[in-house]
Amino acid sequence: MARKRGRGMAASWYGIARTATVDRAGAWVEIDDGGTAKVITGVTEIGEGILTVLAQIAAQEVGIRPEDVTIGDNDTARSPEAAHAGATRQTYMIGNVVALAARDARAKLDAVLAKEWNVDVGTIKAAGGEIWAEGTNHRIEMSEAVHLSKSRGVVPLGSGSFGTDTTGLAADDGAGRPWQAYVFGGQVAEVEVDTVTGEVQVLGIWAAHDVGRAVNPRGVEGQIEGGIVQAVGQALMEDYKTEKGQTTTPGFAKYILPTSLDVPKITSVIVEDPDPIGPLGVKGIGEPAMVPTIPAIMNAIYDAIGVRIMSLPATPEKVLSALREKRNRDEERARIVAE
Amino acid sequence: MLTCDDYLTPVTLGEAFDAMENHRGVYRLVAGATDILPWAREGRAGDVHIPVLIDIAGIPELNVREVAGGNVRLGAATRFQRFLDDKTLAAALPLMPFCAVWFADDQIRESATIGGNLVNASPAADGTPALLAHDARVVLSSRKAGKIVQRTMPLSEFATGPSNTMLAADEILVEVQCPALPKHGGAFEKVGHRRSLVISTVCVAALVEIDATGERFADVKLAVAGIGPVPRRMTAIEEALKTKALSSAILEDAADSAGDLVASRTRQDYRREVVRGFVLRALINAALRAGASTKLISREFEAKYA
Amino acid sequence: MPDLKIEATVNGRKVSKNVAPFARLLDFVRDDLNLTGTKEGCGAGECGTCSVFVDGVLVKSCLVPAAKAKGAKIETVEGLARSGELSVLQKAFHKTGASQCGYCIPGMVMAATAAIRSNPLVSDDEIKERLGGNICRCTGYSKIFEAVELARDVMNGARPATALQEEEVDEGQFIGANVRRLDAPSKVSGALRYAGDTVMPGMLHVAVLRSPHPHARIVSIDTSAAEALPGVEAVVTSADVPGVDGFGVFVHDQPVMAKGKVRYVGEAVAAVAAEDELTAKRAAALIKVVFEALPAIFDPDEAMKAGAPIVHDYAPDNVTKHIPIRKGDVEKALAECDLVIENTYETQQVEHAYLEPEAGLAWVDHDGVVTVLSPSQNITNHRHMLSRIIAKPINKVRFIMSPVGGGFGGKEDMIYQGMLALLAMKTGKPVRLVFTREESIATTAKRHPARIHYRSGFMRDGRLKAIALRMVSDGGAYGLSTEGVMRKAAILGAGPYDIQNLQVDTIGVYTNNTPSGAFRSFGALQTQFATETQMDIAAEKLGLDPFEIRRINMMRNGAITHTKQKLGSVSIGRVLDQLEKAAQWEKGAPAQRGDSRGDLGTDGARRACALDARFVEAPTKTMKSEVA
Repeated sequence: MARKRGRGMAASWYGIARTATVDRAGAWVEIDDGGTAKVITGVTEIGEGILTVLAQIAAQEVGIRPEDVTIGDNDTARSPEAAHAGATRQTYMIGNVVALAARDARAKLDAVLAKEWNVDVGTIKAAGGEIWAEGTNHRIEMSEAVHLSKSRGVVPLGSGSFGTDTTGLAADDGAGRPWQAYVFGGQVAEVEVDTVTGEVQVLGIWAAHDVGRAVNPRGVEGQIEGGIVQAVGQALMEDYKTEKGQTTTPGFAKYILPTSLDVPKITSVIVEDPDPIGPLGVKGIGEPAMVPTIPAIMNAIYDAIGVRIMSLPATPEKVLSALREKRNRDEERARIVAE
Repeated sequence: MLTCDDYLTPVTLGEAFDAMENHRGVYRLVAGATDILPWAREGRAGDVHIPVLIDIAGIPELNVREVAGGNVRLGAATRFQRFLDDKTLAAALPLMPFCAVWFADDQIRESATIGGNLVNASPAADGTPALLAHDARVVLSSRKAGKIVQRTMPLSEFATGPSNTMLAADEILVEVQCPALPKHGGAFEKVGHRRSLVISTVCVAALVEIDATGERFADVKLAVAGIGPVPRRMTAIEEALKTKALSSAILEDAADSAGDLVASRTRQDYRREVVRGFVLRALINAALRAGASTKLISREFEAKYA
Repeated sequence: MPDLKIEATVNGRKVSKNVAPFARLLDFVRDDLNLTGTKEGCGAGECGTCSVFVDGVLVKSCLVPAAKAKGAKIETVEGLARSGELSVLQKAFHKTGASQCGYCIPGMVMAATAAIRSNPLVSDDEIKERLGGNICRCTGYSKIFEAVELARDVMNGARPATALQEEEVDEGQFIGANVRRLDAPSKVSGALRYAGDTVMPGMLHVAVLRSPHPHARIVSIDTSAAEALPGVEAVVTSADVPGVDGFGVFVHDQPVMAKGKVRYVGEAVAAVAAEDELTAKRAAALIKVVFEALPAIFDPDEAMKAGAPIVHDYAPDNVTKHIPIRKGDVEKALAECDLVIENTYETQQVEHAYLEPEAGLAWVDHDGVVTVLSPSQNITNHRHMLSRIIAKPINKVRFIMSPVGGGFGGKEDMIYQGMLALLAMKTGKPVRLVFTREESIATTAKRHPARIHYRSGFMRDGRLKAIALRMVSDGGAYGLSTEGVMRKAAILGAGPYDIQNLQVDTIGVYTNNTPSGAFRSFGALQTQFATETQMDIAAEKLGLDPFEIRRINMMRNGAITHTKQKLGSVSIGRVLDQLEKAAQWEKGAPAQRGDSRGDLGTDGARRACALDARFVEAPTKTMKSEVA
């Protein structure tokens, strides 16, 4: 067959949040008029879906709906430090701190209601825009609860800070505690190699990843799919080149990215091993999603045609050249055996 | 970026020649503009100022599209997408849809013109080998002493090197003409670094007609791009196959010589190997589309190359 | 210069504007009509963020001279939801989570709209072909395909309109639910404004003069001709920096603009603020810089040799950072192994290629606060650095993070915000800089390329006994995130395995190449690529299934990591079990068994692409028997 198929797999691991340093994040939450909430923290969406994740967390913790949550400015002069948008730290650091701040705001509100209703504060529950005391008939809209709280002189406002228990690495042997949460992953790749052109098509990727607790499973899948396709790009076509420091791949006509015709079908398997340290059990997925993809593809190429590509990317030319070398090697071996 | 002092849009050939005469030496013709705009950017030509751009895409003569009397007339401003959505055209030029689907993307095919692709004379142009295989002729128009005149030449003589053609400074490529080949089967094989919107490393275009027995090549037309300064026909292979009975052996023999046509010094081993495989693959696919009996090509052979 | 008068119908409204004769349709739509849902991702027709309909035909507006739009009917993304209600397709994008950063999404929505308009029963494969000219860097396209298929089905009645609604959520249990993205409506409609879409009254435009040399001393800079050009308001160079000139994530080795010498091609040397972009560009070209070329170094191994050109005086060996990890006795262990596998791996420099090129605005507010709005991934750190650079207290420096049109680590570096702040301070006006795609590619950080020499030792039963791994990585001209990347590459490099003998060295090196920096997976991708290939080779040589060899060696609950940290719960065993099951993996050692596998071609794998979606139902039957 001119077109040969094969499969390969690879495993991986990753650390969550900043590496070998103490990570931290802060947030404010105000349960606001109309039963809405303001979440203020110094980070914004870079596409991963963090605003939706934070709204889900704040909504559940406050007892309202995600669409009732407003996420405020990501502005060093207006919001508490949340540090940076990277290091697979958004859901872990900001998600956890928003939960803490939301709980703090709720505690203020619950205290007012407990006094008002003469119930134990622990009996007060809220969900979907309603707040009530369990085992009683006290049940009101969140908007009413905010109004009541304010009429008693209390703005239900909370803050939170979340930091990690981590250390740097020893200079001699690297010993240290770089992260407090780790995730693990593994992927299987199925490829087809065209032995006339050397082209590799990745037809399928199965990706299993521990993400702690998935706040938004569809969002997690989106991260896995996006990470995999970036890795497919690096595995097969992307190659930033310079000649004496001057790039020879100055635009997207030369710097080749995967298009809709180059991407595999992706099956995500979300594994949940909750983080025991943070309040939510969440970990992360942004970066780890792409770590096992490239070796899984290269191992699949080997399965298909018997050549190991150890220098990326596996361009058609490189694959065909490796096949040619293998053919020559095999012939040479056959010749020696024959002699 | 590309800047100009004036952007003219003549609506007749006469107006276009007026503009060319009025701005002699400082103008450039544009049609689809899909090559000139990316060209005038950093990393390529850089910032370019062309005093006058003359956009000829709206001239009626450049928008002719007609299949009549066994001939196809295509105005030079014909968009590549028409080969995919105009069924009459696809039936008359059976190779062109397979070429068009590999050409850039759906959106650029709505802007990019066949004339522009030929005049730019890229060694790796996708449209050129396909039109070469279709025995295209180009019609060049100019105005001599107030009278619009035309000359016609085979496309195979038009490009003289990368970015160089026989088009004179005062000429406009107005039309491409091809014989209609409704009985031929077409195939277009291309490899780049991905499958959409990509420059060919190598591409091979094939047209095959099978005779009444269903077993012999009545006609073979093959062209290739990406292996030398200009796309070219593979006439020796065509001649070797014509009238021959279809068989694995004869195809292999024909393809063996294909690699020798590779003149490009970069990636030469790769191009040699791919051209050989592509010639086989294109011939098999075109023959099947022309109605050849699949029994004639051994399963093993088909599996190896197709 | 005679302006062109463009009269056209745009989203159903007649408009008439005078534009420059060289304006593109993209400029007309964005700058003259302020319809900024249409984006400029590359300016060269290669990405599709600028797709618009002209007389019902979808084109890339960066490749269309505005003059061609005279009298045309133009439809932009803003025209799709004109009644205020999202179109079915936009709702489907919202439902499936098809937008992430959102920058490609208006173009993607337009391409998908064109696909369904051209063929209401468009097949799944044809959808992919018709989206082939639109790049998305975030989503991996999967959710986009799902959205287009959903919209097609709803529009032709194959699925009910309720399929577009949000999934039900149990009793306030939003954590764990597929809540639709809150930012999706603003992205699918083109309403969201990124930094480059933002306009302020009296705003000036910035152009940057960049180094053509990889390594050269700056003898002199003469800005007088540029400053004299009408329309130019200010030119800045490193001489305009009032404070301590240096930024970087780990070491502040990079000046806002080249100071004394340039270290890579594309490094900023001077910046101009002018009334319009073209004037700024022309002025930048008038700046006269005298360079004296210095010997340059382009290979990291060569750079570490004695006598190599020195990129930064503080690091005479050109080593940016070396991270060692040691455990046990590697040489002794390798000598005792039944199988030692030794290989060299190479990975390349990779561009982030976010669809939104860098862009930013800066102004000085009424209280004298220097404010920078940009898609920065690290406003906290940037605020600290800029306050030192411009010698102002922290509370007189304000960073606002605009929506990020893709980052992936590439927008962690403060490579242009300093210039903007200086120009805003010098002119007293708002200033805006938008990178071209070429500028973004040539001047911003890349993924670190790596050369990895690897030895791993196994016992006959599959136990991984020792790893010796040395990675040398080209960090390019400036430090940026190199230190952190080397650290993560080292800590995670040996993989999720229990190994007693380990010797890992990762070394980041200065050269005169384009700098390398932060990029999603930050060094761990490079080293684990090598580790996982070594594991596959070992599995083959030892006759073990690749899952099996990993299970033999994987970390378990309570494992001690390579950096001697005791872990709690370790999920790798569960992950491997679920992966093997999901993929229906056929057991066996890697031995080029592709031909004989029984697990290929399941529902989890797509059909190989043959670009034939439009020919499958073609008029001639012979096409069906096509074999390629």
